[in-house]
Amino acid sequence: MVSAKTKVINPQGMHMRPAQVFVGEMGKFKCDVTLLCNGKTINAKSIMNLMAACIKQGCEIEIQCSGEQENEALARAVELVDSGLGDL
Amino acid sequence: MILQGIAASGGVGLGRAVCVREEKLDYSGVAYSGKESEKDRLQAALEEFEDRTDAMAKRIRERVGEKEAEILIGQITMLADPFMHSQMEEAIDNGSCAEAAVDAICTMYADMFAGVEDELMRQRATDVRDIRDRLLAVLLGVTGVDLSQLPAGSVLVARDLTPSMTVGLSRENIAGILTEVGGRTSHSAILARALELPAVLSVPKALDLIKDGDGLIVDGSEGKAILNPDESTRAGYLKRQQEFFARRAALEVYRDRATVDADGKVYHLYANIGSVAEAEAAAQSGAEGIGLFRTEFLFMNRTSLPDEGVQYEAYQAVSKIMAGKEVIIRTLDVGGDKAIEYLGMDKEDNPFLGHRAIRYCLDRPELYKVQLRALLRAGAGEKNIKIMLPLVTCVEEVRAARELLDQCKDELDAEGLPYDRDIKVGIMAETPSAALIADLLAKESDFFSIGTNDLTQYTMAVDRGNAKVEKLYKTFQPSVLRSIRNVIAAAKEAGIPVGMCGEAAADPCLAPLLMTWGLDEFSVSISSVLDTRANIHRWRGEKAKRVTQEAMGLSTAAGVEGYLSAAVSD
Repeated sequence: MVSAKTKVINPQGMHMRPAQVFVGEMGKFKCDVTLLCNGKTINAKSIMNLMAACIKQGCEIEIQCSGEQENEALARAVELVDSGLGDL
Repeated sequence: MILQGIAASGGVGLGRAVCVREEKLDYSGVAYSGKESEKDRLQAALEEFEDRTDAMAKRIRERVGEKEAEILIGQITMLADPFMHSQMEEAIDNGSCAEAAVDAICTMYADMFAGVEDELMRQRATDVRDIRDRLLAVLLGVTGVDLSQLPAGSVLVARDLTPSMTVGLSRENIAGILTEVGGRTSHSAILARALELPAVLSVPKALDLIKDGDGLIVDGSEGKAILNPDESTRAGYLKRQQEFFARRAALEVYRDRATVDADGKVYHLYANIGSVAEAEAAAQSGAEGIGLFRTEFLFMNRTSLPDEGVQYEAYQAVSKIMAGKEVIIRTLDVGGDKAIEYLGMDKEDNPFLGHRAIRYCLDRPELYKVQLRALLRAGAGEKNIKIMLPLVTCVEEVRAARELLDQCKDELDAEGLPYDRDIKVGIMAETPSAALIADLLAKESDFFSIGTNDLTQYTMAVDRGNAKVEKLYKTFQPSVLRSIRNVIAAAKEAGIPVGMCGEAAADPCLAPLLMTWGLDEFSVSISSVLDTRANIHRWRGEKAKRVTQEAMGLSTAAGVEGYLSAAVSD
């Protein structure tokens, strides 16, 4: 398992569109992707769970990837969040 | 029989009732056909749902607009969640039929969304329930009423309008809408106005009282419906309907025109709104900006204060919808007749003279600063937000609010968050005190907006909800008119813009006075935008000036009103 911490910077947070961008990209990797935020553990391949977690701008998150391609998945995940998920 | 409801979309619709009852989605008789077979049924239903929803989205995009179609596209995205699919399959593995699996998992997510803090995210619960009901309908082979197949002159009667129901709605076959739930700002109301279909909402027990084929008149301007009307009532409404159509057609030419008087002098015509959804409607109505965005909706129907993020999202959404146009947002106007339970406000003997609006907010800086910060940040993108302070009575209040705003700016600087450094701060001129010291307030304000409803009430010292004194409540009272004149004159003198966002801004009788005095901006309800533009268009400056002089020489409200009514229809 590999993990990294970062911060959600896009204004909308994990609303429909940013969440869709994130989930869509993570679905391309075989490993499990999990987000830790506000004490919650969220399956980051599930748009429903990601949206229901209400992750907002400024939230500190930890991304964990575990399984095949975990390093590539983590790098891509951090890159997406740091670039604002198409919402900047 | 007359049914009372809420006037949600103007106009008159006459026809035969078509009742859309909630489909019976009872699956208690469905036998479990084995893991594989149930999973196949689920898979087929998911595909069918996507095809149908995609087709619906296409039709809505063509007929209503992109925004409405997005609701349906969002539903497809949500249902594509592989994790949710695996949860449904797990339920099937544990012995549930496909229907029970869909019901259990969707209901779980709907409850999850319904419980979150974020207002916009909470609305997703409605989507998940709509998904659930339509998936169950597919699985059970229940076909809903296809509204597009209804004959012309159908009056739709339903509990509520669902996003999926909106596909079949059109002016060709639906004469009007009547529902059991929903208010003026509900999804149903906004959709009805976008389609220009007369609608009366919140009619209790409508589906119990009305049967398919009943004669039904929907009066969306008055907020009532007439069930099985007699012939003379019908004839009367038919005439009103024709007049309404003729008027609407005549006004249509003003939708894309500039707001100018007959001499070509330009005015600004804005809309008043009370929710994010209404901003969409305002943008389509021909309004050139938002002159009053009431923020109370964010604070109501909840049990705790909306945090900065929730407020930011709402303000920013409106700012984006109105990109390139001004958005004047009024800070929390709580108290008086608008109580919000969780704020723990004390019961007062004279709430309208008590601890309300700016007075309350300045005494709760920790609460007020959350709103000010959200407004500052929301203005960062389009730079089109202006802040309006309600119920200002003295200069100290403006200074105190500006002081808090400066503190917020310092905090945002320290946190490195973007905001609109040059955001404009103005006051709502709605108290006799503000009218009398308008010159002093103009030196400390970036703009004025006259709120005639409270200004009339406070100037005349009259509670307009009290039938015994209600007759004194007239904007035509010479005292009220002089106050308005004074506020506009002070703004002109100081060189700041002045608007009006009370009901008087849409009154055709007052237009010549407001134009003569130099009002820059008229802000009216969405349904009055075109009327007001047409009114302004009618006047020449010279004539408006003569009428104003004449009217201001009269000494009674009745005299002024009588004279202006005659002058306007002249």
